[in-house]
Amino acid sequence: MSKQTSNKATAAIRASLKKRYARERRFQWYGRLAVLTGFVFLFILLADIVGKGWPAFTQHYIEVSVNLDPEVLGLPPNATREQMFTADYLGAIKSSLRAMFPEATGRKDKQQLYRLVSIGAEYDLRDRVLKEPQLIGHTSDIWLRAHAEAGSYLKGQVTAETAEADRRVKDQQMGWLDRLRADGRTESRFNTTFFTQGDSREPEMAGIRVALYGSFFTLLVTFAIAFPIGVAAAVYLEEFAPRNRLTDLIEININNLAAVPSIVFGLLGLAVFINFFELPRSAPVVGGIVLSLMTLPTIIITSRAAIQAVSPSIRQAALGVGASKLQTVVHHVLPVAMPGILTGSIIGMAQALGESAPLLMIGMVAFIMDVPAGVTDPATVLPVQIYLWADSPERGFTEKTSAAIMVLMGFLILMNALAVYLRKRFEMK
Amino acid sequence: MDRTTHVDQHTSQRYSAELEGLRSSVLSMGGLVEELCRQALEALVRGDAELARKTVKADSQVNEMELNISAQCIDILARRQPAARDLRMVVGIIRMVANLERIGDEAAKVASMARKLADDRDRQTYLSEPKHLGDGVSAMLRGALDAFARLDVEAAIDIIARDPEIDREFKTLTRLLMTHMMEQPQRVKNMLRVNSCARALERIGDHAVNLCEEVIYLVDGNDVRHLGVEEIKLRHRGG
Amino acid sequence: MERVEQQEPVAGSKGDAIRPPLDIQAHSEQKDYETIGTPFVTDPKMTARNVNVYYGDKQAITTISLDIGRNEVIAMIGPSGCGKSTFLRTLNRMNDIIPICRVEGEFCLDGDDIYADDQDTVLLRARVGMVFQKPNPFPKSIYENVAYGPKIHGLAHSKAELDEIVEDSLRRASLFNEVKDQLDKPGTGLSGGQQQRLCIARAIAVSPEVILMDEPCSALDPIATARIEELIDELKENYTIAIVTHSMQQAARVSQRTAYFHMGKLIEVGDTKQIFTMPKHELTENYITGRFG
Repeated sequence: MSKQTSNKATAAIRASLKKRYARERRFQWYGRLAVLTGFVFLFILLADIVGKGWPAFTQHYIEVSVNLDPEVLGLPPNATREQMFTADYLGAIKSSLRAMFPEATGRKDKQQLYRLVSIGAEYDLRDRVLKEPQLIGHTSDIWLRAHAEAGSYLKGQVTAETAEADRRVKDQQMGWLDRLRADGRTESRFNTTFFTQGDSREPEMAGIRVALYGSFFTLLVTFAIAFPIGVAAAVYLEEFAPRNRLTDLIEININNLAAVPSIVFGLLGLAVFINFFELPRSAPVVGGIVLSLMTLPTIIITSRAAIQAVSPSIRQAALGVGASKLQTVVHHVLPVAMPGILTGSIIGMAQALGESAPLLMIGMVAFIMDVPAGVTDPATVLPVQIYLWADSPERGFTEKTSAAIMVLMGFLILMNALAVYLRKRFEMK
Repeated sequence: MDRTTHVDQHTSQRYSAELEGLRSSVLSMGGLVEELCRQALEALVRGDAELARKTVKADSQVNEMELNISAQCIDILARRQPAARDLRMVVGIIRMVANLERIGDEAAKVASMARKLADDRDRQTYLSEPKHLGDGVSAMLRGALDAFARLDVEAAIDIIARDPEIDREFKTLTRLLMTHMMEQPQRVKNMLRVNSCARALERIGDHAVNLCEEVIYLVDGNDVRHLGVEEIKLRHRGG
Repeated sequence: MERVEQQEPVAGSKGDAIRPPLDIQAHSEQKDYETIGTPFVTDPKMTARNVNVYYGDKQAITTISLDIGRNEVIAMIGPSGCGKSTFLRTLNRMNDIIPICRVEGEFCLDGDDIYADDQDTVLLRARVGMVFQKPNPFPKSIYENVAYGPKIHGLAHSKAELDEIVEDSLRRASLFNEVKDQLDKPGTGLSGGQQQRLCIARAIAVSPEVILMDEPCSALDPIATARIEELIDELKENYTIAIVTHSMQQAARVSQRTAYFHMGKLIEVGDTKQIFTMPKHELTENYITGRFG
């Protein structure tokens, strides 16, 4: 009897097996599909950004035979450095270009000719002359920075196939550039300007240095404030605070704070730190404080989770040999919880690094050319810089935007790698 | 507190069953031994050589049961690690079984003597005293087994208290036999046989006392061997 | 208390309600009860008098008085939830870390009131060490594990002295020969039994007077268990040991005295030999013979 029932049960199970396995296989395929879709989207996004941003890391130069005639430069003989500094290099470049391409006669043609080189070219020339004053009075071949539009033609981003009206590089300019290229008078170099200069109206002159420094100083302030406060708060709440209404309320508030839109923190920063405490506008110190407020809940929550995850048996063991509460926490609980705390903090910092909305509110959106020397100097940050560039219509800024995004992502990856490394290192011990 | 009701209350039903099986094995061995004593005594009194022969032969059955029960005890000790009451039960039973086996041996001795005395024509002149002694001892044995079956300490103490009476009877019987021997030297051989019967019966009484002492041990936990009745009573009330 | 449970059945107490009533309940309802046997000894190492422990509204221990003798191993046995671990933890105030736990009663260690206001729990726990159910070495090296206690208490004044304490403790825990070449390896890499001996070494490194063991072998295999039991036997020469165990055989093997706990009460205390051959209380008897409901 019992054998019969068991056989019956076996048969029933066997009958259902095929269906069950099929369901499992189906589910696995859904899963793979989901992962694949995610990867495809990610790949498209990355490919788009990298594809657009890659050219920004190169800059074209044009070799021009510049006649550094002191007359054109407006320099007396034996000119002083100050005089050399204020000389009319633009005039020299213009006359040299006219000399190279005498066919440009009309006012419009001349204007187009001058636009082959960057506005910044005169400064490049000035710097060169200041370094080598013996060049004055001679005609020499000097590499000048190409204008962004000319550069985009040389990079192949703009071709003659586009109707002339739809592009900024005109047919005439293309002809000149083709001639220069044929003469070997064009060259593509690594774009150091991108990393050494601040923002500029001209794409070929714009760089992310100010934004990088701004981000660095802002994060420094954020970390210096949020990490110690966050960890201390987490340790106190988790290990020392009594469990009562008040601590429950605090816990709920911290959790809610993590969900507050970041722009609210920006408003708070504007109202409290700038208007009330009169801290400088656009400064990393204010940005750092605001971002630390935003990161604090994340750090506290992840740190508490990490501390909670420490096995109570370790606490008991430490207390059991007579360690005080603080010794237990510092010697045993924190080292074990540290990887988790660091991971949480770094993720919080990464969040802060990518944040732009609250910083817009406190004026870190300004156009700043000078590299900040400290946390109180006006600065901008990478995401805001990206936001600014994304607004500009010039083709040159499109690629700069993507390039800045690449740099930002590079830093995010770096920070996450650091989190992984620290976790691994601490776990070893 | 009624202790017998708890025997079947182990968390492990099988353990309870094993202990219960052990107890009933001892009771059936006790029953067999008791029957052998009765038969040996009957063979002696009636001069039934055939019954005596059968009784001697049946002793091997007792030996077999002893081995069987010892094996059961060892099995329980090894696998269950009994404690407290259960431990005392098992240990008590190991000792009781040894006593029962010896009672069986003594009964066989009586039976073998009965066979030799079966053709003595003057048996009626000396048999009434051994019969009386034997009845007393049988009653003690039955009482001891009853006390075990009911785990009744009071009854066990009563049985132990009867032992001096048996000893007295045995001494009287010995003196009587010596008188017979002096009066009729030609019957010395048979008288000696009767005496060894009496001695065996008296030993059975001693073993019955041992059984009772084990009953007291496995109920109260007091080891009362080698103690007087008064002391035993005192300890029972104290514990 | 009964009535309260019936009125508002909590999720956890559901099982209790279904269970058929035992004759124990009559026992637990009466307020006064007397511990059978010999809870008191002459010249005790630790004494506990009229101990009541509450977790919130729930009473975990009811009026227990018990002495722990000098250099004896006392075993505490009883069914789960009988309060034996709770009682053990009151002896070095490990219950202090549970906020809802309230302890009443008088406790003395060599005549010092261990619950006195000026009694430092750090010092107390150095004097009354503890070994836990699950081996819980710190996630640090073997050396660090043992050296930690002496370090925080400042027992060693030099590296050499510390080395000596570590080696001595490991030897006493009969672990030294197994780990002497890997003192810098993590303690968590040892086998379960070795970890537990490491925890014992860690406990004795601060030279405690009493060692409390809370089911120290429940996570170990029989051979590791036998080694720990052997170790307990050696340790009793120098220390007083109170051990809570679920294994009655273990209690029978290692202890000189055994205390039987039942539903927060100390039912019977006596010589281990007596407890395991002729316990006096029916509840003790039922527990150690495996009769239960």
